Amino acid sequence: MSLTYLRIELTRLARDPGNLFFTIGLPGVLFLIFGASQDGVDRMLEHGNVALYIMVGMAAYGAITATTTIGGGAAVERSQGWGRQLGLTPLRDHQYVAVKAVTALLIAALPVVVVYALGALTSAEGTARAWALSAVVVLVGASAFALFGLAVGMAFRTEGAVSVAAGLLVVMSFLGNLFVPLDGVLLEIARFSPLYGYAALARRPITDGAMFTSEGVPLDADPLWVPVLNLCVWTLIFGLAAVALVRRGRARQ
Amino acid sequence: MDTTTTWPTAVEIHGLRRIFTPRGSEPVAAVAGVDLEVEKGEVVALLGPNGAGKTTLLDLLLGLGEPTAGTVRVFGRPPREAVTAGRVSAVLQTGGLLRDLTVRETVRLVASTFPRHAPVDEVMERAGLSRLAKRRVSKCSGGEQQRLRFALALLPDPDLLVLDEPTTGMDVTARRDFWAAMHEEAARGRTVVFATHYLAEAEDFAERIVMMARGRVVADATTSELRRYADERSVSARVAEPEPALERLRALPAVSEAGMVDGRLRVRTLDGDTVARLLLDELGGSDLLVESAGLEDAFVALTGAPLAAEPDETEPTATDETEGVSA
Repeated sequence: MSLTYLRIELTRLARDPGNLFFTIGLPGVLFLIFGASQDGVDRMLEHGNVALYIMVGMAAYGAITATTTIGGGAAVERSQGWGRQLGLTPLRDHQYVAVKAVTALLIAALPVVVVYALGALTSAEGTARAWALSAVVVLVGASAFALFGLAVGMAFRTEGAVSVAAGLLVVMSFLGNLFVPLDGVLLEIARFSPLYGYAALARRPITDGAMFTSEGVPLDADPLWVPVLNLCVWTLIFGLAAVALVRRGRARQ
Repeated sequence: MDTTTTWPTAVEIHGLRRIFTPRGSEPVAAVAGVDLEVEKGEVVALLGPNGAGKTTLLDLLLGLGEPTAGTVRVFGRPPREAVTAGRVSAVLQTGGLLRDLTVRETVRLVASTFPRHAPVDEVMERAGLSRLAKRRVSKCSGGEQQRLRFALALLPDPDLLVLDEPTTGMDVTARRDFWAAMHEEAARGRTVVFATHYLAEAEDFAERIVMMARGRVVADATTSELRRYADERSVSARVAEPEPALERLRALPAVSEAGMVDGRLRVRTLDGDTVARLLLDELGGSDLLVESAGLEDAFVALTGAPLAAEPDETEPTATDETEGVSA
């Protein structure tokens, strides 16, 4: 893999302060507002407290913002002719994908590191296993949303569309039970939304699947297959959309 | 085995076709059967109006597209192999740069993809970019971006340099500087194939001109052959007795062709004055007309489409060929 390419990719991202704000700043601030200072965040769940639960949600939001933006950016830059320029070099497609994947992983790790550090410095508490395992799920699961960004980038071929997609993640986060615990009809809808499975799996090391309302009233626990199926189906949908759009792009060349 | 250094032919194209099927419309043959060979060291212009299939042909030559039928070999190997080995590189039409990188970062990034490449600073110097090293690509003018693409093309130290409408979007000065730099590269013994729709560029820079229209090669000649064509005059007149007149005219060494067209006697000649004098003074000619049968006319006759006028900045950017479907 080209370390020079990787280094230049990271430099590019560091130059875009708006992007970094949504990836690192916003999740950090949201955690400090909702997770660090409110009443009741020190209430213990199975393997950690409510602050830890909120912290994981915010880190997950930052991580998917990073992967969506990077996946989308890759699609847009390729459709705007950079793919043709790289076609004149020995660089293979899989090497390009590797550079982008490592970049996405490193950038997605930033909000995890920052938000988890804020959690550790303030009110989040839990078992070592809950901390470590949730961080791994946040990072690995975020890769599915690189496909979401890729599909949007292929479909609309503009940076603006990718920004809108990243912005839509805020709405999807509310719908996916990621920011605020939902109940009733909203929770039933949430089970089908793209971020539900990802968020639920990331928090499973803390809750073992236990659910509760925003007031802390316990709800029926989710069996493991519900979030697993949700994440698999949505990953498949994003993946198929990306493949179909790549094919369409090829046919047009 | 590396045959690049000994292989005499830079480009071999046989029976090449590329058919696009845009959604909801009929298939279009952007390249409709092309045979072409380019020897090592040649400088060849690919001349044709927009939509003639030049960009599609060059894409196939660079391995950026797959042919529908036919073969392409670059120094005896498939294009993608030649690209990977750094034997061929190209300056593509507009697009294809990352706007948020600096000029130097772009050169370094592309250099890093080659196992061996010319020194970054030397390449930037040759493309006239040394003073722009820290400038963002987005802040570069069209001509500066084109020089950057040129620098990228020089990185692998290629034996074959392909240029697709390289001066599009450049002003007169930038255009002149660009061709001066290209002359230097050609003098180093590189084979150069460039597409243009400016006749003047083809004439000034190429030793050989390949004219394309509607996906086919319609003419292929050395520039001097074509220049001679440009110096010819078409002289026509009404004459009472065509037969003896034609006989006298065909005997003249400067006359290449003489015949009757639409009731008028028509002569193609390099010496229009003599023919005109003869027709009026001795052969009883009237209603005399002398026209220049220039390269431009030849081009229109061969391709059925006029070329662009002299290069200038107001020429719209030729992007309609990049997608291929319009070709």
